[in-house]
Amino acid sequence: MNNYQLGLIMNSCISVIEVVSVFIITSLAGMFSLGQAAFMTISAYLTFVLAKMLHLPIILTAAIGLGMSGLCAYIIAVPTLRLRKDYFTLITMGFGEMMASIVVMLEKYTKGSIGFSSIPKVKSIFWIIVATTIAVIFFAWQLKRSRFGRMCIALKTDETAAKSFGIDVYHLKIKVYVIASCISGLAGILYGLKNRVITPDGFSWNLSAEMQIFLFFGGTNSLTGAVISAFGLKLLPEMLRNLTLFGVNMQEYRTVIYCLLILLVINFRPEGMLGDKEMSPSRMVRAMKRRLKREKS
Amino acid sequence: MFLQLLFNGISLGAVYALIAVGFAIVFSVLKFSNFAHGGMISICAYIGFFFQKTVKPTPPIWVTILFTSLCGIVMSLFLDRIVYASIRRNKSPKNYYFLSSLTISIIITAILNVFFSKNPLAYPMLFSSTTFNVGNIRISRMDTMILIVSVVLLVLLIFLIDKTKVGLAMRAVSIDPETSKLMGINSNFIILMTFSLAGILAGVSGVLLGCKYGVFPDLGQSMMIKGFIASVIGGLGSLGGAIAAAFLLGIIEMFWTYVMGSLSTPVMTFVVMLLFLFIRPQGISGRFAKEKV
Repeated sequence: MNNYQLGLIMNSCISVIEVVSVFIITSLAGMFSLGQAAFMTISAYLTFVLAKMLHLPIILTAAIGLGMSGLCAYIIAVPTLRLRKDYFTLITMGFGEMMASIVVMLEKYTKGSIGFSSIPKVKSIFWIIVATTIAVIFFAWQLKRSRFGRMCIALKTDETAAKSFGIDVYHLKIKVYVIASCISGLAGILYGLKNRVITPDGFSWNLSAEMQIFLFFGGTNSLTGAVISAFGLKLLPEMLRNLTLFGVNMQEYRTVIYCLLILLVINFRPEGMLGDKEMSPSRMVRAMKRRLKREKS
Repeated sequence: MFLQLLFNGISLGAVYALIAVGFAIVFSVLKFSNFAHGGMISICAYIGFFFQKTVKPTPPIWVTILFTSLCGIVMSLFLDRIVYASIRRNKSPKNYYFLSSLTISIIITAILNVFFSKNPLAYPMLFSSTTFNVGNIRISRMDTMILIVSVVLLVLLIFLIDKTKVGLAMRAVSIDPETSKLMGINSNFIILMTFSLAGILAGVSGVLLGCKYGVFPDLGQSMMIKGFIASVIGGLGSLGGAIAAAFLLGIIEMFWTYVMGSLSTPVMTFVVMLLFLFIRPQGISGRFAKEKV
């Protein structure tokens, strides 16, 4: 494979990590965050700016960045999650706006809207990204199946019922949000390592909304659905590179295509492409066996 | 200087109030965050701009505002037809309303981006001289016009909701759509009515914002956030609270910009909102829209 194709796969992997973080918030705990890109901003900028200023190894500053993402998530979550869900959405969105303007404000360190580009080159970045993606998916999969995940799903289905079973809903939501924000932060760092330049525009509100759209396209209750749709939809615009419509390259219509897809999904298949089914090897084997049996009889 | 800033702040607050009310009115009846409002504002700003540009002789500003708000109504009814109606019919969860409105907002911005690029377009000059003096404060004619139009519209809206039968029906539907249906209220009509009101507000605020800041695709979305913040501070779904909070926000923002510069205003508004939620989570109005079991 040439560099171009490797780059596409890396982009898709990063988008998978982002969508997994949104999956944890939306599908496990039933909340909507429109500010996940803000956590990418926080950790990416902290990691690379600190690494350059203090000459620290990236591993160390990355840990600081991720920690800071978690801390910010905690600060936002404490007052907001007591209120109804709509507040949470609006406030995360405001947070995203705030982070973008902070980056421009601290122009001295972050280079403002030109973008921060003194990012060190890392060897075998492709394998790092692929390995991290697999690790993150595995983590989310385990999280969904664990006691913690089952508590979350109970909370999502019916908050009052979950409370009456003795689940501490408020603290559970805070934990979910902090975990998910750290994962978003990880995606931000990988994004920076891959593109070697980070700009505040790259982590705009639209990115947060795009993640939400990918998630709903794949199916809100299916981790595999979310992963597949994130991977596929990120690749989709690349396939349309050579087409033009109204004299404008089809890639410009990327967002429009996403939105039309999601409107169709909402209207005709509200539960998403995979619904609440998961695709796992054992399940696929079972489905194959069933089909063989049917063909025999 | 103080009076000058105060006046500018009130004028800014009036625009925020229009946006916040357009958002809050849909929230209070349908209980979902209508993100599409931002996109509607952008598209209305463009419609107003081209109406003013192409129609000869150049129409006075109030004709543009009327025309744009009509377009706002048509568009919101159209959106309801193609998007929200099927959600209502399927009785899908509120999430889908939320997601579709988000999608519509993004799609409108993306289409505008493709066709008109990101560069702002300036409205033609409305007044021959831009400012006039009262005592020793200098007042911009534009701000005065914005203030007057917004206040008139808000007063009309509050009259409609508080004093007329349709307003009563709207309040009933906002409390419980099923029961009000049993009481002989045409819930569907009321919902369409709510969307049309939001459309009018989007149309008017689109033109006003376009006059003030120029027209660009992200106009609605960036202003929308201020409207959201105002309605969160005011207490979600409460119109009076949203209006009060919007004026407050406008005044604070003006003073802050004067002292600290405009770059840090998003930080300031966010911190104000977070502090407000710590101290008084039920909002200014005190009516707390709690989720029912």
